[in-house]
Amino acid sequence: MPYFSIILSLFAISLWTEVPAIKANDSVVVYSGRAERLIKPVLDHFEKTTGTTVKLLTAGSTELVNRLRAEKSRTPADVFITNEAGALELARSLNLLQPITLPSVATTIPEPFRAPDNSWIGLSGRMWVIVYNTNMVDPTTIHSLLDLATPTWKGKLAIPTANSEYLHAGASMILAAKGEQTANKFLKGIRDNAGNEVYGKNRQIVDAVAKGKVGVGIVNHYYIFRHLAKDPKAPIAPLITDQAEDGMGSIMNVAGIGLTAHAKHLSAANQLIEFLISPTGQEMFAHTNKEYPINPTVNADPVIPPAASFRASTIPLTRLAELREPIIQEIQRLGLR
Amino acid sequence: MVRQSHLTPLSFLGMSIAALLTFPLLYVTYSAFTGDLSQAGNLWNTRLPELLTNTISLALGVSLATLTLGISTAWIITRHQFWGRAFWDWGFVLPLAIPSFVLAYVYTYLLDRAGPVEQSWQWLTSSDAHIPSPYSFTGALVVMTLNTFPYVYLLARAAFQNFNLSFEEAAQATGATRWETFWRVSLPLIRPALVASMFLVVLYVVSDFGAVSLLRFQTFTYAIYQQITGRFDYQSAALLSLILVGFALVFVFAERWFRKQSRFYQTSGRVRTATPKPCSLARGLTINLLFLMIFTAAFGLPVFLLLQWTLTAWTNGEIGTSFGTYIGNSVMLSAVTATAALALGTPLAYLASRIPSKLHLACLQGAYIGYVLPGPVAALALLMLFTDMIPFLYGTVFVLILAYLIHYLPAGLQAMESALQQVNPNLEEAARNLGAKGIRTFAQITFPLVRKGFSAAWLLMFLLCMKELPATLLLRPIGFDTLAVRIWLEASEELYQLAAPPALLIVMLSIPAVFLLSKKNWQAG
Repeated sequence: MPYFSIILSLFAISLWTEVPAIKANDSVVVYSGRAERLIKPVLDHFEKTTGTTVKLLTAGSTELVNRLRAEKSRTPADVFITNEAGALELARSLNLLQPITLPSVATTIPEPFRAPDNSWIGLSGRMWVIVYNTNMVDPTTIHSLLDLATPTWKGKLAIPTANSEYLHAGASMILAAKGEQTANKFLKGIRDNAGNEVYGKNRQIVDAVAKGKVGVGIVNHYYIFRHLAKDPKAPIAPLITDQAEDGMGSIMNVAGIGLTAHAKHLSAANQLIEFLISPTGQEMFAHTNKEYPINPTVNADPVIPPAASFRASTIPLTRLAELREPIIQEIQRLGLR
Repeated sequence: MVRQSHLTPLSFLGMSIAALLTFPLLYVTYSAFTGDLSQAGNLWNTRLPELLTNTISLALGVSLATLTLGISTAWIITRHQFWGRAFWDWGFVLPLAIPSFVLAYVYTYLLDRAGPVEQSWQWLTSSDAHIPSPYSFTGALVVMTLNTFPYVYLLARAAFQNFNLSFEEAAQATGATRWETFWRVSLPLIRPALVASMFLVVLYVVSDFGAVSLLRFQTFTYAIYQQITGRFDYQSAALLSLILVGFALVFVFAERWFRKQSRFYQTSGRVRTATPKPCSLARGLTINLLFLMIFTAAFGLPVFLLLQWTLTAWTNGEIGTSFGTYIGNSVMLSAVTATAALALGTPLAYLASRIPSKLHLACLQGAYIGYVLPGPVAALALLMLFTDMIPFLYGTVFVLILAYLIHYLPAGLQAMESALQQVNPNLEEAARNLGAKGIRTFAQITFPLVRKGFSAAWLLMFLLCMKELPATLLLRPIGFDTLAVRIWLEASEELYQLAAPPALLIVMLSIPAVFLLSKKNWQAG
C-alpha cells in the first residue's frame, strides 16, 4: 500500500542523508559563531594540509551554547569557535567544555586571553574603539571612551543598538573596571547623546561618521579598516583611548575556541587547535578580518596599529560571562534602543 | 451516513499521527510550568503588554490591508476585461515565491538610514530630513502585507469565479446600486473564502520570525526567539509560546465556527458565473498602472535588486560551487515533507469529514496546533526530545522533516479538508456497497476526486518549506545547508551580494509551484 511505502522511503532517505563522515576518526566537528567567510578559508587550509576533514556548523554564538546544552553528552561537536569570549566562558560555566591539554597553549597564549583551566583560548583580538571624522573632530580632545558620555557630544555620536553583543561586552568591561556608577553614567550619556543615531550594524556607524552625519561613533576596530580598504580617502580614523596611567586600557574582546566536554575526536580537535595557535594559523585567522593575533610572536596586519603601540584592558575576559545578564538588564532598564 | 463512530484501525492511525504532531506542545507545556515561576511573573509585568499590543495590532493591520488589497485585485481581475489581464491573473501570486525575510531584507536595505531612498529624498529636497524607519510597525506592516496578500487574492479570486451571478442580479433587480450589491451580496457570499484566507494570513503573521527579526519589531515569536538565543531562557520562551498558542487557538476555533455558520453547498443545477466585462481604455490603463505599482513593490523591485546583487557577486567571482548541494537539499526536503504531509494528513482529514466523532475532530484540531507553535520553540523541543529519547535519529534530516511537518501540515490540511468535504460521501458508500474495501474505495473513488485539492495542498506546503528558516537553523545536520539558511547566514553579515544568489534561487525554484498554484481553482469549504 502506498501509504506505508511512502513513510518507509522517507525513513530511508533520511538515514541515507545522515553524514557518515562524522563517524570517521580523522574528522573534527566545528560549531562556529564566527562568520563563515572569516573561518572557512582557515579550515580549508587545515583540511588540505593535514587531510583531516572539517565539518562546520555556523549559527549564532549563544544559539550554539544552547544547542550544546540541549545535546549534552550526545553532541557531535568537538570544538566551539566564537567571536566573543563571553559565550565561551558561558559554555565553560555550564560545564560544556573541557581543558585543552596541549602543552603549547600555555606558551603561546598569554594568560588574560584564556580560561583559568584552559578550556577555551583566545585566537584573535578585537578592539572596541572610537571612529571619528578627521574633518570634524580633534582627536586630542578625547582621552577616554567615557568622554563620549559628556554633553559635548550631544547629537554628534552614533552607537550600536541595545542588542549588540559588542555593546554588552564593552559596557561589561567598563562596569568591571570602573564600577556600577560609572557604567550607568556612561550608558545614560551615550543614550542621550546618540538620540536617533542608533544603528543595527557597525558598518552603518562607520558610514555615518565617514559621511559626516555624526562626528564620532563606537565600533569594533576592523570595521574602520574594512571601510578604508574600499574607500581609502574616507575622512575616518580609529582612536584608541584610555591609555593614561590610571586609565582602564582599551577594551579588547577575543574570538576564540573551546574544546567541548564530550568531544568524540579528541586528537583531531587538538590537531586543529594546535594549527590555529601556530604562526600560520594565527596569521590566517586574524588577518582575514584584520584582528590582532593572540600569539605574541605573530604580527598583526600592517594596516592596523601594532599591538605594542597601546595597552589593552587587563580585566580577565572571564568576567564578561558573569556581567552579561546584569548589563543586559541595565541596558534594557535605561531604555537604550 | 449512519455510520457508528466506534474505533477503527484508522482511528488509531489518526490518533498516533495527532500524538506525533502535538508531542512538542506537550513538552513545551511541561517546560513552561516546571522550575521557578517567579521569572514568569517578571515577564508578565515587563514584556507582555508590549508584545500583546504589537502582535495583535500587526495581525489586525495586516488582515485589513491584505483583505483590501486581495479583494480589490481579485474583483477587478474577475470582473473586468482589459489588456494585460492574463498576466496579472497569475502575476499577483508571484509574491508567494519570496520568503518574508528576503522581502524584509530588501526593504531594510532600501529604507535604512542613509539608504538609497533616504539619499534620493535628501537630494531631491536638498534637506537632511529622515524618512520613516523600516524598523517599526509600519515597516513590518508593509512587508507582511506585500508578502501575504496573494493568499487573499487566490481565495477571493476563486470565490468570485465560482460565484453564482443570479444573487447579484436579484439584488440589482430589486433596486440595489452596484456598490450596495458588492457590500451586501457579493462580499458576504465569499465570506468562507475570506475567512479561510485570514486563517493563512494571520497565522503566518503571528508565527513569522524572519521578517520581524530583521525589522526588529517585537512580536511574540521574535521575543521568543530572543529568549532562547540571546539568553538561555527556555521557560520564558515556553510560557510565551503557550500564550501565543492560546491566542491562535481562539482564532482557529473562531474560524471553524464561522465556517460552520456559513456552510454553502455547491448548488446543483446550472450556476451562471460572471464573465469579465470589457472596460474603457482609460480605465484599463489606470488598472494596469495600479497593478504595476503593487506588483513592483511586492515582487518586481525585490527580484530586480536580487538580480543586480547576484550579478555583482558573479562578476566579483564570489559565487561558490556548492549551490548545487543547497538546491538539492532545499528541494529534496520540501518535496519529501510535502509528500509525507499528504500521507499523514489524509487519515486526519478523512476521519474528520467522514466520521466526525469528537475524537476524530480533536485529532484534526490537534494537528493545527503546530502551525501556531513558534518554529524556534517547536524546533528546540524536538531537539531535546530526540537527544534524550531517540538519539540515533538525532542529527539526521528526519528530525528536520518532522519539524517541517508539525509546522506546515496544517496549511495543507486546510485545502485537503475542503477537497474531501466536497466529495459526496454517497459515492464512497456506493463503492463500498459494491464490495470495494476501504483502501480501494479511497484509491479509486475518493482520491481521483480530491486530486486537485490535494495537489494544491502539496504545492502550498512545498512553497512554505522552501522558505522555512528557524527550524532549519536549529536542526539541520552538520554540513547540511539549505538555500534559506545560506541567505540567513550571509544576510546577518549584511553581505547583500552574497545573500542574493540563494534568495534568487529560492524565488526561481518556487515560481513553477506558484504558477501551478495560481491555476488551481481554489475553493474554501
